[in-house]
Amino acid sequence: MIARRVMSGLLLAWGPLAAIVPASEPTPAAIEQFEKQVRPLLAARCWKCHGDQKQQASLRLDSAAAVAAGGDSGPAVVPGDPEHSPMIQAIRYAEDPKMPPDGKLSDGEIALLTAWVKTGASWPRYSDDVQPADQVPATLPDPPPPGERDPLWALRPVADPDPPATQTTPPPKNMIDRFVQARLEQLGLAPAPAADKRTLVRRAYFDLLGLPPSLDEVAQFVNDVGEDAFARLVEKLLASPHYGERWGRHWLDVARYADSGGYETDMYFRNAWRYRDYVVKSFNDDKPYDRFVQEQIAADEIWPDDLSLDGTYVMPKSKIEHLEARIGTGLYALGTQIHESNMDGKKLDYERLTDWADTTGSVFLGLTVGCARCHDHKFDPIPQADYYRVVSTFTTTVRSEVELDFHPERYRAAQAAFDRDHAPLVDALAKFESQELPSRFAAFLAAPPKPMAPKWLIVDAANTKSDGGATFTPQSDGSYLVGGKNATNEVYTIVVQTKRQGITAVRLEALADDSLPKRGPGRAPNGNFALSNLQLWVAAAGAQGPGAPVKLTQPLATFSQESLPVASAIDDNKKSAWAVDPQVGQNQAASFEIETPVSNPQGTTLTFTLKFENNAGHNLGRFRLSLSTAAKPVGLEGDEAAERRIDEVNQALATPAAERTEAQRATLLDWYRRQDETWQKLNGAVQEHAKQTPKPELTKVMIASEGLPAIRFHTQGADFFDKTYYLRRGDLNQKVGEASSGFLQVLVRVPDGEQHWRSTPPAGSRLSLRRTGLAHWITDVDGGAGHLLARVIVNRLWQHHLGRGLVATPSDFGASGQRPSHPELLDYLAGQLIEGGWRLKDVHKLIMTSAVYMQSVGTDAPRAAADPDNILLWHRSRQRLEAEVIRDAMLAVSGQLDERMYGPGSLDETQRRRSIYFTVKRSQLVPSMMLFDAPDSLGGLGQRAATIVAPQALAMLNSALVQSSARALAHACLSAPGCTTEAAIQRAYQTGLARTADAEELADSVAFFTRAAETYKAAGKTDATEAALADFCQVLLGMNEFIYID
Amino acid sequence: MNHPHLFASPSSTYASRRDFLRRAGSGCGLVALAAMLEQQGLLERDALAGDVRLNPMAPRPAHFLAKAKSVIWLFMNGGPSQVDTWDYKPELEKRDGQDLTGFDKNTGFFTEQVGPLMKSPFKFARQGQSGAWVSEIFPKMGEHVDRMAFLHSCYTQTNNHSPALFEINTGMSRMGFPCMGAWVTYGLGTENQNLPGFITMYDTLGRGLPKGHAQNWGAGFLPGVFQGTALNAQGAPINNLFRREGLSDAEQLAQLELLRKLNKHHPEAGEADLAARIESFELAYRMQMAAPEALDIDREPKAIRELYGIDNPKCAHFAKQVLTARRLVERGVRFVQIYSGGMENERSWDGHANIEQNHRQFAGETDIPIGALLNDLHERGLLESTLVVWNGEFGRLPIVQKGGTGRDHNPHAFTTWLAGGGVKGGVHYGATDEIGHKAVTDRVSINDLHATILHLLGIDHEKLTYRSNGRNFRLTDVAGHVVKEVVA
Repeated sequence: MIARRVMSGLLLAWGPLAAIVPASEPTPAAIEQFEKQVRPLLAARCWKCHGDQKQQASLRLDSAAAVAAGGDSGPAVVPGDPEHSPMIQAIRYAEDPKMPPDGKLSDGEIALLTAWVKTGASWPRYSDDVQPADQVPATLPDPPPPGERDPLWALRPVADPDPPATQTTPPPKNMIDRFVQARLEQLGLAPAPAADKRTLVRRAYFDLLGLPPSLDEVAQFVNDVGEDAFARLVEKLLASPHYGERWGRHWLDVARYADSGGYETDMYFRNAWRYRDYVVKSFNDDKPYDRFVQEQIAADEIWPDDLSLDGTYVMPKSKIEHLEARIGTGLYALGTQIHESNMDGKKLDYERLTDWADTTGSVFLGLTVGCARCHDHKFDPIPQADYYRVVSTFTTTVRSEVELDFHPERYRAAQAAFDRDHAPLVDALAKFESQELPSRFAAFLAAPPKPMAPKWLIVDAANTKSDGGATFTPQSDGSYLVGGKNATNEVYTIVVQTKRQGITAVRLEALADDSLPKRGPGRAPNGNFALSNLQLWVAAAGAQGPGAPVKLTQPLATFSQESLPVASAIDDNKKSAWAVDPQVGQNQAASFEIETPVSNPQGTTLTFTLKFENNAGHNLGRFRLSLSTAAKPVGLEGDEAAERRIDEVNQALATPAAERTEAQRATLLDWYRRQDETWQKLNGAVQEHAKQTPKPELTKVMIASEGLPAIRFHTQGADFFDKTYYLRRGDLNQKVGEASSGFLQVLVRVPDGEQHWRSTPPAGSRLSLRRTGLAHWITDVDGGAGHLLARVIVNRLWQHHLGRGLVATPSDFGASGQRPSHPELLDYLAGQLIEGGWRLKDVHKLIMTSAVYMQSVGTDAPRAAADPDNILLWHRSRQRLEAEVIRDAMLAVSGQLDERMYGPGSLDETQRRRSIYFTVKRSQLVPSMMLFDAPDSLGGLGQRAATIVAPQALAMLNSALVQSSARALAHACLSAPGCTTEAAIQRAYQTGLARTADAEELADSVAFFTRAAETYKAAGKTDATEAALADFCQVLLGMNEFIYID
Repeated sequence: MNHPHLFASPSSTYASRRDFLRRAGSGCGLVALAAMLEQQGLLERDALAGDVRLNPMAPRPAHFLAKAKSVIWLFMNGGPSQVDTWDYKPELEKRDGQDLTGFDKNTGFFTEQVGPLMKSPFKFARQGQSGAWVSEIFPKMGEHVDRMAFLHSCYTQTNNHSPALFEINTGMSRMGFPCMGAWVTYGLGTENQNLPGFITMYDTLGRGLPKGHAQNWGAGFLPGVFQGTALNAQGAPINNLFRREGLSDAEQLAQLELLRKLNKHHPEAGEADLAARIESFELAYRMQMAAPEALDIDREPKAIRELYGIDNPKCAHFAKQVLTARRLVERGVRFVQIYSGGMENERSWDGHANIEQNHRQFAGETDIPIGALLNDLHERGLLESTLVVWNGEFGRLPIVQKGGTGRDHNPHAFTTWLAGGGVKGGVHYGATDEIGHKAVTDRVSINDLHATILHLLGIDHEKLTYRSNGRNFRLTDVAGHVVKEVVA
């Protein structure tokens, strides 16, 4: 039924609301009222309990049939008779049941439903009420007779056209020319003559690299008189790494590339730039396009390599490629992301899925699939069902961040080398411990030493408490690791019981830990903490309450942050504090003497309060407390080895040797060996070497995949929903059945249908392989969408080379898009791409070595008038450079360009790298890029605008970039040996425009320069010459010719 | 020095494609070709007709005659509370402290902080001939109620700042669609070519930009020309507006003169794009002088400055922006939008914690300047042609947000007022329920609001379309009814 409707829809182009039920047909006005008021009201107030999720009293109110069928107590509605319709009685709250139970409807709403029942409770039915699951596959109707428009041309297989014969001169250079010239000949038109070499070389450099040729590069080409000089130039440029930067940027336009998620918080995608680099590299490597597409849709599924190396330390190249390919799925991950926390999670998820389905359709197939979210596509044979089936392919896919090791072989090798070096050290220690240590220990015990009294005694807490919701986990070394909530302000209360007498000082250690930000010791994002106050309360053991505060003096610390000294922790100023930035990530400590030493015969309760009120969330992440009974001045340093277990040791020593337990003997042995110099040396060597334990070189990558933890934003609830439903009119409240993963029916051309591309995941796999099916279908030239895929990409190449696509709507090959101007040529190019193994560089070369590409810009007024858009390709269309290229060209001609490739981007407009390395923050787009129509990256963009506005001219007049470029260019031109004014101006012309100035231009330029130089000299400027030439260079950069390329 | 070309008014010599076709018919035998291309569906159906593309900011006639020529949109960022400002609810006072039965806790943002009904902390009194009830926090604006048309029944689809901001600015709660200012300049162009056609101003006290930042004044799929120019809070108000230090006017003019000469040598200088670009430099040159002049409120007489409250430290920052807005519309700028307040919470009208303190503060920052603006526009005869709009991105709940004395977000109801520009004064349209929780009578969607504002500018909202991705888009999507009741 769906299919039938689609076909008739194509012929009649009727809207989504056409009803198929002839009897009791509601009037259009009634339909409108129902859709605008009645259905939304039922959805909002009734369906929660009487819909597809719940059916209270067995009643559903979400379809005509359900309303008619009623529930436990019969029909809910008597059409035409509100007074006898139980539903109307219920909503009036006249008697029980009163519905809806959570609040009476407004009078207006009650009146609306009453009127609806009174007029027959009609419920419009649509063809798409049918569950789409049982539809038959759509098939393409036969093409119309020749000469008539075929709105479905793009969906038909690529033809293998014979290039027509041509007569005119210039003779065709390749097949492309025959298609184009034949068309011109039919109309009696001649193509424009070939462009001169200087024009060509500049055109080719900007086209392929997005950079101007240098003086030498121009000369090299101009002087190359070989027949195939241009073909060789094209090959050279295609081999340049800048090619990937130029054409990768074109791809990023359609991929809506950005480094942040947009919306309220516009959070950074910290690793999105790896997708940008992946694209650049893929173009440079001339990765077959079908492979490039498959990688972006499903690399994680198709090449699920793990890092196991089968016992070898050599990483196979294919395996690295498979890991890199996974970055391609970033295409999906870098779409916009809404963070609004308590919005309907399902709604958010449908926004994501819509973006992913839209992206798949428009980027790869040039089809606007997204329109079918709300209704069958008006113009294309894409039923709503297809949209939800594509969506369903992505339902359980999430945006995830994974760490990939692209060089596990290096890790393996390093680990092996480490193990090799480490083993002898461990062996030596073990040998000493088994052979020498026992006798030394026995000798030591024979003359037992006096009990030890280390300076600091680490103490355990009897009780801990956090005001802000933190938790304290005791560690084996006597420290406490803080977890749980990291409140803005905090107070930790630590209670310690001790029997020590004469306590003279306390020590607080702030310890690093791998689990803390920047390894701590604080919980602030930079690893810092800020202790605003430390107080100690003392009470006799068993007494009520914390007792009285004692005065702390002599603050000492291993390190204090500038202007946040340790003394601040015990002063009266609540806002001053002790902090340790930049020495974070390492252990720190502070000690304080107690003014009057503390003694209590029955023991003492010490209550420490640690306040963190100086800076938000700057709470301690791991700490340890110690006491000292040493004589003042106590000092900060101590002997950690002895501190921890001193009581146990002393107890063991006090026990007669024969009565010692095994544990006590072990304690004594451990205590002893730490004092043994040989053991210290051997153990030190082991510990020191262990610090060099190798780690894998992990690279964080944002991908889209299944079964991995999703990147969490400020959202709540599930990361995704297990199922996708067909929604009427795209409304989440109107589900009409579950959608299973599938493809666009109209492009399924194999007898076994979609099964052809489906694979079943192995048991226990985290992957569903749904995207694998999509990737294989979309690249399948025999029975899938491969022909359309090829047409769309060759058209994109053509568009960027010639200024206008053979299909002028590059992302809309549907019936509402443009027809191809040269359909046979488009098919020819698509065929060439497929036959050549999907290598894009071959297609570039084919296009660029055609006579069509090498034409000059035409000046023929009648032809310009008849075909101003140059649809017939009778000449070269002049092209304005894009925002990135304008900026890059200025940096290049002035010698300022930093050519380093790849890596994280930047928002700094003064950086000198190519503009593709600007970070794309969706809410903070780079102004100089936006000025010249760079995309906003919210949706894919197939073709940029080229506006002309005064703010662009303001930038050319006053921007820092233009001025610094002009100055640098002037400086370079003046630095050339034997430089006259004329020579400097000519050099600027050649550098900027790849040509010399003619006599008139030179005269005008010299006159300007002379006058400016005189003015500056008269004003006493010491650099008058350079300043004047810089003013001239700025004019040069502002010339139309600089950014409009012939 | 004589530079007549620089000061000539923008020429109208650019040939649009239609012109080309017309001329093609008169001169050569290729006329059939154009017809053939058109017939084969190959001539690009330009989303932007040739004349709009080549001179996008040139003034264009509206669909029908209307009074409003320009718009000043006073945007109370964060969401002012309707029941504490313009939507007086005596019943709320009576039910103060009672629970709101049946309340859906997902309405606001803080689902676990749902408190009982809370009366307004402010006194209300009737103002003007029309007797509109006005909160005590708006003594100056209250003097103008007879000029205002109130839409009490506005509502949005979403309950949080950025989607609601997107919705009220673009009609869609998602990012990426053109905002109203962009649509209006796309439709009408602008009167003064030496100034941007659409200007926005945001908080200058460092309290941040509205959520979603520049997307709120973005052009979406419309050409970037139509996006709002946000005046920078620091430095040059417009990027690249000032000549570099040390470069005199004469030297820059000499540069422009040379540029014009050298461009002439470029083949086919007559080509429309290239001619338009030459023109753009002359516009830019003039903008360097026109924009600083327009933005220089120090040129205003003392009395005017005092009227707006520029000497009053409490409202000086907003007063300067409002006075700037008046100078801009006076000079032919089409659309001006000013955001009161920064991001959220206490930095804007987002009174979660303490509605009294919050609204007293932001009313104090805006009441005098807005009252002055209405007076000043009226006295200059500009109010007739200037549509003034006041609202925020949503309203606030009639219940208290637990833990304080503030109110949480309320997508179901808020008040907009319109004044000037062909608006019927002293009118109240639509109503909320008796406690101001939900709009119930004559509900006004954002699409309706947009349709109404476009109508006041002479634009049929169903005819203002732009083709993108195979579809004709409108500001009002597929909905929108003009609220004729507020049109004079």
